[in-house]
Amino acid sequence: MNERCLQILILDDEPIVGKRLRAALEKNGYAVEVFEDSRAALRRLDEREFDIVVTDVRMEEVDGIQVLEHVLERSERTKVIVITGYATVEVAREALAKGAFDFIAKPFKPDDLRQVITRAAAALEP
Amino acid sequence: MENEELSGIAGLEAPESTSDVEELTQKVDKALLERPGFSIRARLALVFLLFFILSAATTIGTWMLLARLQTRLQFIEIADQLNNEALQARRFEKNYFLYGTNLEDVLRHIETAHRHLSSSKVEFGSIVGMESLERLERHLGRYRELIFQLRQLEAPGRDNVVEQRAEIERTLRTHGAELVSFALELARRERSTVRTLLGVMKGVTVAFLLCFLVLSVYSADFLSRHIIRRLNRLMQLTKRIGEGDLSPIVPARKYRDEFTNLVVALNHMIGEVERRHQVMVQSHKLRAVGRLTAGVAHELNNPINNIMLTAAALREDYASLSDDERLDMTKDLVEQADRSRKIVRNLLDFAREGEIEMGKLDVREIVEESIALVANQLKLSRVKAKIDLPENLPPVNGDRQYLSQIFVNLALNAVDAMPQGGTLGVSADLEAEGGFLATHVSDTGSGIPDHILQSIFDPFFTTRPTGQGTGLGLSVSLGIARRHGGDIRVTSREGEGTTFTVLLPILEVPAALERDSSGFVG
Repeated sequence: MNERCLQILILDDEPIVGKRLRAALEKNGYAVEVFEDSRAALRRLDEREFDIVVTDVRMEEVDGIQVLEHVLERSERTKVIVITGYATVEVAREALAKGAFDFIAKPFKPDDLRQVITRAAAALEP
Repeated sequence: MENEELSGIAGLEAPESTSDVEELTQKVDKALLERPGFSIRARLALVFLLFFILSAATTIGTWMLLARLQTRLQFIEIADQLNNEALQARRFEKNYFLYGTNLEDVLRHIETAHRHLSSSKVEFGSIVGMESLERLERHLGRYRELIFQLRQLEAPGRDNVVEQRAEIERTLRTHGAELVSFALELARRERSTVRTLLGVMKGVTVAFLLCFLVLSVYSADFLSRHIIRRLNRLMQLTKRIGEGDLSPIVPARKYRDEFTNLVVALNHMIGEVERRHQVMVQSHKLRAVGRLTAGVAHELNNPINNIMLTAAALREDYASLSDDERLDMTKDLVEQADRSRKIVRNLLDFAREGEIEMGKLDVREIVEESIALVANQLKLSRVKAKIDLPENLPPVNGDRQYLSQIFVNLALNAVDAMPQGGTLGVSADLEAEGGFLATHVSDTGSGIPDHILQSIFDPFFTTRPTGQGTGLGLSVSLGIARRHGGDIRVTSREGEGTTFTVLLPILEVPAALERDSSGFVG
């Protein structure tokens, strides 16, 4: 497990988020796939299992909570990190109640996410 | 002073447009009061004076006619007496010739007749003519002369008495007959004059009645025109004001009167209502701004997050990045900063309290701006906006801020009506009646039950829990639409959704001029 690099899926309808996070996380040696369209992301999630899924909550078609449910349905071990807009406590609480690993509020720095991912990676260790 | 007070209460900047309202009210007041005064009191006094003059003229006329009639009747009496005396004289004359009675009686009656005649000579002359009267006098004189001659014949010792007597008798009879027929003619003519006078009097009463009728009709018409019709006009005006048209009442008549004071007072009331409406519109707008702000804060998070991620990455990897990558990142930074600026500016534009500026507006632009303002609310509630407006909609006359307030209010209501998401539709068509652009704002919510539908435009009516809605959104929107000469209508089907139709008058040059003078107070 340690040798295999961490598989991360990032879903956010803002293209810049994916662009910057991919660069920031790949630098740390993670394998990163980026999606802007939630349906395409769901299809990809059906194809394979990811270690960590980072998803925005507010999206046009399918929202982050639905993605969370979808992921956990398929793979319980996957850690889902939810990006909320301007820290809305209810949404964060709902996400955590539904099994999200943690949430991160916009706006955030790449380092903020890295820390959460490091914790999630640690949690993934058997 | 009052403006400052009002704005102080609402905690707003004094709306600049209130000074316009003030100015307009003053201008209309001036126009109303500058007219020459002709009070209803004066008009009524004039009508009653006319009635009095008519009655006085009729009374004087009748009195004069009656006086003439009285004189005539006296003359008829005199003429009858004259006639009587003449007949008496002739009776005694006959007795004298038949039975030889004395001549003194004849003479006495003739003298009396002569006295009667000379007492009313001028009057008789005016009836039968002076010439005839002189002839009558001649006959009378001659008759008297002949009687004197007869008396002389009776003196003893005269010759040819019989022949002379016969000669005198013949002449006497001729003159006597003339005398009687003249006296009769006199009386007859007098009677005929009296009859004419009576006829005139009958005519006078009928004429009086006719004049009275004409005057009465005029006064009734006057009352109806100047009092009842003006009360009706005021009634229509108050109805118009009630419906939300707050343009001041302009002078419709040439003269100023008691109603003018009422109209001036009404105009002041309209000005006051208009000011309060403006304050209410503004304070309601601030509530809408409050709601929009939450959405805007959400929306701002995205560009700010993008800026933060990009800036952090730029700092972190500055040395290892290629020039192109650095350039791309700074480009992103500028674009995202610009995006934030637009979001803030859009909200501030809406919140800003500007002067009311009536102008040619494209409804499509206003709808797009308004929907952009509520975009985040739509996203949060998972409501899709479907704007289907043709490019070449005819322009309407209005104030940009006011009209966008209508569409923001309707869009926010639509969002509230669809808590589970749905579609917000905006479409437009030209109203069949013509002259109006109808913009339909529809939701796919649960619809509004019929019994509530009637009261949704009432101020302070809300279906939201206490403290969550002012119940002013639709009332304010309708007020704005009405001030633009338009209207808002609603149709709803339970379970299918609600459609609000905003009717706005299409701008046409002549119509626009008309509206400027009598429509929106701006």
